[in-house]
Amino acid sequence: MNLSAAEQRILDGEEGDGARKALELVVALGKIYGADDLVPITSAHVSGVSYKTIGDGGIAYLEHVSQGAKVRVPSTLNPSGMDSVRWREMGVSEEFAAKQLHIIDLYGSMGVTTSCSCTPYLSDNVPRKGDHVAWAESSALSMVNSMIGARTNREGGPGALAAAIVGRTANYGLHLKENRAPTVIVEADIDGSLFSHSLLGQAVGSRIGNGIPYFRGIRPDWEEAKIMAAAMAASGAVAMFHVEDHTPESSEHPIEGLDVIHVGEAELKDAQDSLTVVEDVELIAFGCPHLSIREVKEMASFLEGKEKKSDVKVWFCTSREVRDALPAEVSILERFGTVLADTCMVVTPVEGLFERSASDSAKACNYLPTLCSQKVRCDSFQTLMEVLL
Amino acid sequence: MIINGRAIASGRAEGEVVVLNDDFSFLGGVDTATGELRVGGGGNISGRIFAFRRGKGSTVGSYTIFDLKSKGLAPAGIVNATAETIVTTGAVIADIPLVDGIDIEALCTGDRAIIDGDAGTIELPDLELREVVTGIVRRGDQILLMRRSDEEHHFPRSWGGASGRIEEGEGPEDAACRELMEETQIDARPVLIGKPFLVRGEGIIWRVHPVLFEAEAEPTLNWEHCDYRWVSPVEAVGMDTVPRLDEVLSRLGL
Repeated sequence: MNLSAAEQRILDGEEGDGARKALELVVALGKIYGADDLVPITSAHVSGVSYKTIGDGGIAYLEHVSQGAKVRVPSTLNPSGMDSVRWREMGVSEEFAAKQLHIIDLYGSMGVTTSCSCTPYLSDNVPRKGDHVAWAESSALSMVNSMIGARTNREGGPGALAAAIVGRTANYGLHLKENRAPTVIVEADIDGSLFSHSLLGQAVGSRIGNGIPYFRGIRPDWEEAKIMAAAMAASGAVAMFHVEDHTPESSEHPIEGLDVIHVGEAELKDAQDSLTVVEDVELIAFGCPHLSIREVKEMASFLEGKEKKSDVKVWFCTSREVRDALPAEVSILERFGTVLADTCMVVTPVEGLFERSASDSAKACNYLPTLCSQKVRCDSFQTLMEVLL
Repeated sequence: MIINGRAIASGRAEGEVVVLNDDFSFLGGVDTATGELRVGGGGNISGRIFAFRRGKGSTVGSYTIFDLKSKGLAPAGIVNATAETIVTTGAVIADIPLVDGIDIEALCTGDRAIIDGDAGTIELPDLELREVVTGIVRRGDQILLMRRSDEEHHFPRSWGGASGRIEEGEGPEDAACRELMEETQIDARPVLIGKPFLVRGEGIIWRVHPVLFEAEAEPTLNWEHCDYRWVSPVEAVGMDTVPRLDEVLSRLGL
């Protein structure tokens, strides 16, 4: 690999052991994917935060790496295993909480912004078109590739952290324009609701794996795009999508000769059926990815004046920033459930608390059975709330 | 002998090889209290050169490797056919040399090996490397297979192509022409040279260079073979062949 003089100095240890190890990792990952060189990044988003997912091995690693390293570019953190304030209400144990707070402190000590959200592109980490970035979190990186036109591969947690520490990542894959071209055209025929975008993502991801779809027939806003991107990254490994006449790079690549697939009501029904195995649930969770300001407002206006008539638990997962910004709306939602920040249903230890859960997010419904041992129902916000009203 | 691969994670280590001829997930695949494998035929990877095809499974596997290292239970080196993100990340953060691009089937559990993660090599000091050619003659849709005679030291009675060692100063192409002439009296020039690969024998590793010929003539056999047949490539792999003849055919596009 071709390294600049500055990069070689880091590799020779002249900027400390932490930076040297980080660059070694960035270079090694670049080698396996055939990168010729490294590219400077403007931001990073780091996953591997929940104690539930990274365990004691992850803590040991973070304790080690944080001794001599600081991030060089603005970097944010993915959701953690609990609400940092309301964890007792969630039923999280003291031991889990202590380890979780320690993990967040370790990231903080390296200069990572510990906002713990999977939607940093809506608040404190917003790349610009053409920026090279190193993002983990499959839904977030798909959003910045697709809706913003910034460039990132599917980074893993340690790779994104290493890139943040040296301010560079390996130049391959989606950092190169030629690899950002669509691979398949998707003719979508859906009702346009938020939930239909969730199922569309599920159907497309499971059909095309790690392809790059070019959508026709939809014009998703940020909320619709994020639930669709999350689903495509969970049911497949989609890291980028285009929407005709809508996303910033949609007209920059040829689409002649691509295969066309049609996704309509029948395919959405199949997608929903493939995720749903129960009807009655103990927990209904929204906010995968984290609810935006607009979503919290819309939910509050839907629920205002209504009354909860069931003891089914409800979680509304969002970022700390959104929860703090909307106290009136949050107090309406709190009459129906708990508004959680910093975390979500996938990375918190749900398995110790519930056995059957529901979400409108196809991503959540992909991971709840495997990561949280849940039997799952996938349905729209309105349909699920009818259970309670 | 030295096998050349690709340098992924730096460092040098010597140890006994443990081979798992499969993809592997460190999360769940190894007991982190003992270093004992929970998959394949078992075995302990601590302090060994752990060779497996490719990493798979949860990204937490990277931390599992670090965890093993901090407990003194990590492998001394890792050898992959194809490195991927999870194992590469784990190897780098735990300071374990990693080399990929290695034909795992050439290694056996118990081999003594030296891994060099900077040069990208695996040295097997107790094994001899022999460079050999296997020439396949194509005639229309059929290929020529010959049955090795009882006098052959290696693989008597097995079906194969025209094969033999590459002599000092000789290239695979010339060696293949010479062997073909000796064994069949067919005079032909190669139409395709396939990418070489490794085949494991006892105390020996053969680097097999596949070579394709086209010819119409019937062979005149010497002592090395006792029979021949013209068969389709599909029929060929169903016969009792020398090891990995299927790989020879696939590397020649047959």
